[in-house]
Amino acid sequence: MSGNGILIQVQDLVKTFGESVHALNSVTADIRRGEVVCIIGPSGSGKSTFLRCLNRLEDPTGGHIIFDGVDLMDKKTNIDLHRQKMGMVFQHFNLFPNMSILKNMTLAPMKLQGKSKAEAEKEALALLERVGLADRAEAYPNQLSGGQKQRIAIVRALCMKPEVMLFDEPTSALDPEMVGEVLNVMKDLAKEHMTMVVVTHEMGFAREVADRVIFMAEGKIVEENTPEEIFTNPRTERLKNFLGKVI
Amino acid sequence: MADRIYRNFIVDDRWKYMVDGLAVTLEITFFAVIIGIILGFVVAIIRSTYDKTGKLKILNFICNVYLTVIRGTPVVVQLMIIYFIIFGSSRDISKVLVGITAFGINSGAYVAEIVRSGIMSVDNGQFEAGRSLGFSYIQTMRYIILPQAFKNVLPALGNEFIVLLKETSVSGYIATQDLTKAADIIKSRSYDVYTPLLTVAAIYLILVMTFSKLLEIMERRLRSSER
Repeated sequence: MSGNGILIQVQDLVKTFGESVHALNSVTADIRRGEVVCIIGPSGSGKSTFLRCLNRLEDPTGGHIIFDGVDLMDKKTNIDLHRQKMGMVFQHFNLFPNMSILKNMTLAPMKLQGKSKAEAEKEALALLERVGLADRAEAYPNQLSGGQKQRIAIVRALCMKPEVMLFDEPTSALDPEMVGEVLNVMKDLAKEHMTMVVVTHEMGFAREVADRVIFMAEGKIVEENTPEEIFTNPRTERLKNFLGKVI
Repeated sequence: MADRIYRNFIVDDRWKYMVDGLAVTLEITFFAVIIGIILGFVVAIIRSTYDKTGKLKILNFICNVYLTVIRGTPVVVQLMIIYFIIFGSSRDISKVLVGITAFGINSGAYVAEIVRSGIMSVDNGQFEAGRSLGFSYIQTMRYIILPQAFKNVLPALGNEFIVLLKETSVSGYIATQDLTKAADIIKSRSYDVYTPLLTVAAIYLILVMTFSKLLEIMERRLRSSER
């Protein structure tokens, strides 16, 4: 894999809800391989919509998303195939409550990648080991704490060996004391040069881990820079205003 | 007492009506349940797909017509229409088969709405999680949504099948010799109304109680997998 090649190229992305709500207003951005991009902004700024458009969980109204050289907006593109390479982590975990942790993790690799049960379980257990939850393999989601659930959700996505991980406010639904354990897993991922796009309110995380921070407001990218510049030298009034409120 | 039992069940082997009737009732119910489940799930999936994505517009319309007509008319009338009108020209058709068809189609409408409510009750996040892993719409339904929906609606489904079992008692309208009809026949020969009717009532009751118990066990088993 090349170091700095562009993995996802977003061109003029537009998303409207109904006639009047413009959630995304012609957004253009690149995500490079191995980089961690954090998206910050006030609520209603379109940052979650932007993230959810990347794997077309939300159907964009217009524009292009070039992933791995393929336009995901092309009607002929098999989006299911490409979603396998784009892991996603949700604010509310969305683990499958009727399945054990191991089953949660092995379902997709077995059904979609044709892995054997033994192989899928071996990989899942190795990942569980990494996030310190190997002893919970046979547990069910409702037996876990929020932080544990989110760590499972992350490794469930990793089981598909994605090329990029999309995080949609992964710590927003967590009790404060559980935020750290989830962020630590994400930091480890970043160290392994996983490409990550993270919508977050954790400014500390953005500052420490991100290679690049995108600030969005009113469906547009207002500022885009290194975390250093974003946090210490904001250029626009919008960003100054926003940072003044959250830090 | 002994005399009543003798007159109603022993003379001319009248108990055979009961046994044969019970077999017919169970046969109609069993196969109607299967048709009802298949039909119900298909209609529910079509309808909830339309609700969620806006696709399958024409199929959804057909399903709506089906639900409206079936739920808006009495099952006895449906049974007679299928027997006397739809199969009217072929009188040698098996009445049990007609019963299975009529009750199956009827039950399917109720099962469809039960299952649809189950599908809609599963959190949309489950759907998104499935799709984000790369499952297609159909795969997400099959592996993730339907198992959860099924568990949620099991009590309501069980209730529907209990209703269905009892509804087959109107099979006599097309002269099917089911359990109820058996009581009718015996009573017309023994001139005793109490014994055959109360016996039949007891048999239905035992069937329903047994079925309820089985459902309870099944529910408990499904639930225990969660904690």
